[in-house]
Amino acid sequence: MELAKWRNNTLQEPMDEFDRLQDEINKLFDWTYPSNRGLFDRSLSPAVDVVETSDEIVLTCDLPGVKKEDLDLSISRNVITIKGEKKGEQKKEGSRIFRKETWSGSFQRTLSLPETVDPDKVEASMKDGVLTVKIAKREEVKPRQISVNVK
Amino acid sequence: MSAQEMTKRRRCIQPLSEIREEDHKVVIRIEMPGVSKKDLDIQVENDRLKINASRSGKQPEGTYLVRERSCADYEKVFTIDETIDRDSIEAVMNNGVLELRLQFKKEVQPRRIEIKGS
Repeated sequence: MELAKWRNNTLQEPMDEFDRLQDEINKLFDWTYPSNRGLFDRSLSPAVDVVETSDEIVLTCDLPGVKKEDLDLSISRNVITIKGEKKGEQKKEGSRIFRKETWSGSFQRTLSLPETVDPDKVEASMKDGVLTVKIAKREEVKPRQISVNVK
Repeated sequence: MSAQEMTKRRRCIQPLSEIREEDHKVVIRIEMPGVSKKDLDIQVENDRLKINASRSGKQPEGTYLVRERSCADYEKVFTIDETIDRDSIEAVMNNGVLELRLQFKKEVQPRRIEIKGS
């Protein structure tokens, strides 16, 4: 049996209890999965930045310790997929691990880019564990400057 | 620390690391994507091993559609004990991963003892 002090403030405001319940139920509907978790994305998926400039889309991805050969990049229309394997250190005989915050294994990330990208003009480079992919926008959507001669 | 110094100080984050002992060495791997060799500063001060790294890669101009990466600098301090030989710390930077190899001092390394006898 619990010996808790009986609080009679519900008695004074009986509708407060209903309001609280309603809030709880509303919260249930508002709760969603984080948007970056797709079907293939894991909690270990690498962090990505996507920046749109006037004539291209720049995607940057943190992939420390991933070799260029272990990376597979594909694009179809405006959907880009980064696949690869992050190989951890080979465990040697007699080695003892004291701390491990890093992860290793295969990963995959699929992102849909704006419809304006040109899938034929993709440039990718890897430097210091950061993958940079530049996807040009289609010519017709690039801002153009037309000079008008005023007579 | 003065107010001016405070503003000069950039936001720092702790990089992810892995520490293991093998072949009588302590090997520390630190993941620091976006850091090249010249951005690194490693210092040993008494029993502290300080690693500072700035990200030279500049932020692209434009509107962010997705932003998950951190642009802060890296800072990490390890405490090393007296068994580590301060003069033989090796550091290798490769693909955004810094590997530090810390040797034990001669006197704490296992030593094979010759058995003399006829």
